[in-house]
Amino acid sequence: MAFARLFVFGFLFLSIIYVAVSVYSRSIRREKLEDRWAEDHPGDETSPERDAFIEAGMAEYNASIRPKLIALVYVIPTIAVIAISIIVNVI
Amino acid sequence: MRIFRNSVLAVLVLILGAFLHYTLPQHDVVRVVNTYQERQDLNDWTRIFWATPDDQAGTLVNRDVQFIQTVKKKSFLFGFIRRDAEGVMVYRNEDTGWSWPPYFKFDTASLQTEADDLRSTPEAPKWAVMTHYGWRVELFSAFPNAVAIKPIDSPDATIIPWFNIFFFIFVIALVLFVRAMWLQFRERTIDPALEDTRDAWEKVDAYADEKRGRVRRWLDSWRGK
Repeated sequence: MAFARLFVFGFLFLSIIYVAVSVYSRSIRREKLEDRWAEDHPGDETSPERDAFIEAGMAEYNASIRPKLIALVYVIPTIAVIAISIIVNVI
Repeated sequence: MRIFRNSVLAVLVLILGAFLHYTLPQHDVVRVVNTYQERQDLNDWTRIFWATPDDQAGTLVNRDVQFIQTVKKKSFLFGFIRRDAEGVMVYRNEDTGWSWPPYFKFDTASLQTEADDLRSTPEAPKWAVMTHYGWRVELFSAFPNAVAIKPIDSPDATIIPWFNIFFFIFVIALVLFVRAMWLQFRERTIDPALEDTRDAWEKVDAYADEKRGRVRRWLDSWRGK
């Protein structure tokens, strides 16, 4: 019972963290793309080319390994729980 | 107002500090004297000082708890400064299971056996490091929960609190990360939204000014100069 509770609440808690970190990472990436465009095209803040450039950059980010690494938010605490129980009970 | 705010902050910091002091592992240099088992009532508010093992029914009002009686080397400052003095300390020995605090301890019976094995007399002491969490509060019959016991050669052995070191590094990293996330959220989401609201309000304000000006001019046109 306690294990089910730990599992469910832990999953919900880590999911909140997962979503927050995903949004943060995306936001950082978008800001970098905007800054890069502003450096190359000073004064241009609304053109369709700028939108296309940023959307292409975001698509590239979504296809890369970085957003997948955020799944470590689930993996690391699981490893920590296993490690703590081994250290406390076996070693 | 400032005094009020600082007092609230100080109380919050104290509560958080007490919570960490209760929950994080600490190490004592001890000599096991005896172990015993005693029935404990669990039906009043001091329930918070007892663990919740997985095999315990929710409606249970009392159960047997194992204890480890020791002679302990006293210390100052969370165990960092050793003293020559000795005192007594009694630990409870309970499974924490999958519940709070997250020690995932299931080896109560084995730990009790290890403690029994280390029993010694003042004439031929066998010193050991006891890892535990919790407080000894005589007033409420609260006992720290033993987590592990390890024999040491001399009572002056160096103990490095690895877990707490990593824990506080992790907490500092976490605080910095959350702060960065909050700043990013404010810069990219809240500030633009506020700006939009302000722009909209200025438009409404300007429109109202213009309307009022027209009405005023129209009214003025009826007044004789």
